[in-house]
Amino acid sequence: MVEIKDKASEIIDLASELRWQVGDDFHDRLTEGIYADAATITERVEQKPDRKISYSFDRALDKILTSGTFGFPIMILVLAVILWITIQGANYPSGALAVLLLDIVYPFLKDISSNLGIYWWIDGLLIDGVYMAVAWVIAVMLPPMAIFFPLFTLLEDFGYLPRVAFNLDSLFKRAGAHGKQALTMSMGWGCNAAGVVATRIIDSPRERLIAIITNNFSLCNGRWPTQILIATIFIGALVPSGLANLTASLSVITIAMLGVFFTFFSSWVLSKTMLKGEVSTFTLELPPYRPPRFWKTIYTSIIDRTLIVLWRAIVFAAPAGAIIWLISNIDVGDVSIANLAISSFDGFGVLLGLNGVILLAYIVAIPANEIVIPTILMLTVSNLAITGVGAGEGVMFELDSSSETAEILKAGGWTVLTGINLMLFSLLHNPCSTTIYTIYQETKSWKWTSVASILPVIMGFVVTFLVAQVWRLIAGV
Amino acid sequence: MSDQIASSCDDCAFHNIAQLKKLGVNVEDTDYVVTLAGNPNTGKSTVFNALTGLRQHTGNWPGKTVTRAEGGFSYNEKRFKLVDLPGTYSLLSTSQDEEIARNFILFGRPDVTIIVVDASRLERNLNLVLQVLEITNKAVLCLNLMDEARRHDIIVDERTLAKDLGIPVVPTSARSLEGIPQLIETIYKVASNEIVCKPHKIKNLAGPVNKAVEQLSSKISKIYPEMPNSRWIAMRLLDGDERVVTALQNNEFLIA
Amino acid sequence: MTPDPGIALIVFFILVFVGVLLWKIIKSPFLLQNIKQSKKALVEDILKQLYHVEYSGRTASLNAMAGALKLSDRKIVRLVEDMSSHDLLKLDQDILQLTSSGRDYALKIIRVHRLWEKYLSERTGFDKSEWHDRAEQKEHTLTEEQAEQLYHDLGNPRFDPHGDPIPTEAGEIIETHWKSLSSLSENTVARIVHLEDEPEVIYQQIVAEKLHIGSQVKIIASDNHEVKFFSEGEEYRFSPIVASNISVKELTAQEKYEEDVVRLSSLDPGEKAIILGISSECRGASRRRLLDLGFIAGSSIETEFASPSKEPKAYSIRNTIIALRGDQADLILIKKVNE
Repeated sequence: MVEIKDKASEIIDLASELRWQVGDDFHDRLTEGIYADAATITERVEQKPDRKISYSFDRALDKILTSGTFGFPIMILVLAVILWITIQGANYPSGALAVLLLDIVYPFLKDISSNLGIYWWIDGLLIDGVYMAVAWVIAVMLPPMAIFFPLFTLLEDFGYLPRVAFNLDSLFKRAGAHGKQALTMSMGWGCNAAGVVATRIIDSPRERLIAIITNNFSLCNGRWPTQILIATIFIGALVPSGLANLTASLSVITIAMLGVFFTFFSSWVLSKTMLKGEVSTFTLELPPYRPPRFWKTIYTSIIDRTLIVLWRAIVFAAPAGAIIWLISNIDVGDVSIANLAISSFDGFGVLLGLNGVILLAYIVAIPANEIVIPTILMLTVSNLAITGVGAGEGVMFELDSSSETAEILKAGGWTVLTGINLMLFSLLHNPCSTTIYTIYQETKSWKWTSVASILPVIMGFVVTFLVAQVWRLIAGV
Repeated sequence: MSDQIASSCDDCAFHNIAQLKKLGVNVEDTDYVVTLAGNPNTGKSTVFNALTGLRQHTGNWPGKTVTRAEGGFSYNEKRFKLVDLPGTYSLLSTSQDEEIARNFILFGRPDVTIIVVDASRLERNLNLVLQVLEITNKAVLCLNLMDEARRHDIIVDERTLAKDLGIPVVPTSARSLEGIPQLIETIYKVASNEIVCKPHKIKNLAGPVNKAVEQLSSKISKIYPEMPNSRWIAMRLLDGDERVVTALQNNEFLIA
Repeated sequence: MTPDPGIALIVFFILVFVGVLLWKIIKSPFLLQNIKQSKKALVEDILKQLYHVEYSGRTASLNAMAGALKLSDRKIVRLVEDMSSHDLLKLDQDILQLTSSGRDYALKIIRVHRLWEKYLSERTGFDKSEWHDRAEQKEHTLTEEQAEQLYHDLGNPRFDPHGDPIPTEAGEIIETHWKSLSSLSENTVARIVHLEDEPEVIYQQIVAEKLHIGSQVKIIASDNHEVKFFSEGEEYRFSPIVASNISVKELTAQEKYEEDVVRLSSLDPGEKAIILGISSECRGASRRRLLDLGFIAGSSIETEFASPSKEPKAYSIRNTIIALRGDQADLILIKKVNE
């Protein structure tokens, strides 16, 4: 080893000495030399016509897609169409999957297990707990992702997305972020874990961290259904029934826009504080437009993005299902762990304009936002000992009509304030465990993973707290 | 410290098993390790898919594959392991992607490095090609996106290019699998030393810079006569590349 | 059951207030002052200050030193006594003088300071307005071995990012023969070699005006009220006080004054140009990235189109469209080409 060290240091010493002589523009000179070689060779081997003619189609398209007049309208239109197709298109397959997995397969499994005479707690843990959680995640998560990601990927393959980053860059620059964050943010509306993976396109370390940490403020598709349900029950009900739907939709959009606001706000704060020392560079290549290959894109994006993310979600949802079942079925003294937890969280929950059930649901449902509402319903019913609804202790459920759901929630003491704050908290809370795991995979840093996990939940506490107090002051309750 | 690089055997593998293991590549059941380097947006992943039949997603985005993708194919009863590297403009900037790509070629010593270039922007792509050729002697140039070049009426004289670069050049359009069989055959020939490359070395360095590079690289060759890329290592040291300094100190360049 | 909202809000704001207060105390200049007040730091600051004064050919009295470092009379007297007993300086009729070992010590501190500024400029994303203050902290804590390691890692740099020479380990320092911009007469052509980072108000103004080290300047008019000059196609008007903080070196016979050099940011869509080079103010990862993308002297470049908010702009270089932001394009020097 000594010999190796000696040899190495002999070389390194000479290098140091030569570096002093060459000066600090070595990199410049080297790159110039390489490009000079490249130019000489290219000169010898390449014949090309006037570039202006050959790329005229690309440039003409660029002029439209990045123009002051049409740039933004086209962008908003494209995004709106994608979201609309995703939400509308996912309804039917989601419903069908729910019927299949929850109404057909679940009773079937229960039958088999009771025929085999399996112990009730094995049956409960595996079928009521693990199976239900996994089934729920698949039913809610798979269809929108299977629609959203391929559409996004088609735009990506065509070459439109870099133009979006180009159009929006000045906006993001003001928040200390990179234009490409526009895309990782939109990707987050599909799934935050996928959004975090997508930040790989940002090649500047500081801006990439910003995009990773703030991705959670994009309302992911696991949270859209919660928003829509709660908005329908609590906000839609505030206005005449003719306007109910419109009001509810607008309130959900408001929450999503609030998420965009928080993305910019926290990007700006991060870039000015914790991350200001990280290296920052900017380059954005605008590749030529290429016709996407439709079927291949659909196939690969489902394999590449949807299934990988879905698999991660399932891996995390399965143990969560088990835990949800266990806390509802294991009693300490006379009370289940779930009810104990609910009563101990209730004080803090009420302070925030929420309640103990919601806080417990967000703790146990950390693997997937999809199972928050079913868990809340199950916990509420079991906490109040309502009979005739649901399928038993620790079995998550959802109801077919929102009015039935509303009845249960109102029985649980929910008010309009609870609804609004749940919507806010659903936007501002820690990322799901799939996303946290993905953040760690991408950053390999516990520090940034913790920041990304804790920052939003603190913001959630503060925002819901303030809204609750102001609400109570004004309403005088 | 015996070196086993300058082996006389004609078609044996060249790759560094120990380093490859460290880089996380399993080389069991593999005769040759082949890697894909190239600029972003040159259809590198499409070439990867065409070679392996895998369905890796290929986006129209600079810098798609940050983690490596791996696959395999066989030809003439030899099994090839194919490793896709992140697309980079250069190997000099020491960004995360470039570090991954650079370390793989430098320490893993793949049996063949396929450099995928966009035929319609040759000059820009040659920047990376010339850097790779400073590191490795065993390379194939995959002149991809020929269909696009033809659409823009760009003609590349691939024979002269091969002669100038000193490595085989295969024109392809990976999207339509055009040229892929020829590419596989060429990979095999380079791996088995049927084709011996004499890669181009960077010539146009400014006087004092060139002198410093020469002086340092001859020192390196004197101390490590078996080091194939002493010139490139000299360039990296002069550029203050800490990773290369550590590699020298830990003796990572040699096959133990 | 529901807590009183008024009380809850009051408690909340008290907590926030206390939190902010604690944070301020931890981060406050007051506490930093305390750290700086540690004897080692004070001694080092006195040596450094004295070195700068002597270097500029002036002398420092005990009072002036106390004023410059904001120290009480008692404290400075005690410190100076202590320092003279360690043979770092001499007090000769109220004039402080460095001894040769004091000068060596001062140069070591300056070396660490400038090395750290160089490090910040090359390897981190901190804004240039922060370099000085951070280096002021770091110069007292970095050990000699760490400084040597840093020096090697940075490739043995000779100048800090402001253009000041970095003393060598042996305590040698390159003599600089600079002039101040305000001393040049009309029609002189020169190159900016140094931007003084103290006082900060003036430095911030120079930075805000986007004046760069390495840029060529041509004086158009200069009197007691105003210095008017051209640099990289832009016209500047500075007061002599500001201009005196800009050091320049007249162009040598080999250097040619590029009459029509402008910044890439001034190239409008449809216009073509040849790249002359990247300003030395573009450093570290950003510089390497631009070079790798082919922004190299002699390359032709054309502005293709701008984004709806005028920034970034898309440039075509080597048959590829690359978008750059305005502050990057400011650092790329070009010469416009007429068709």
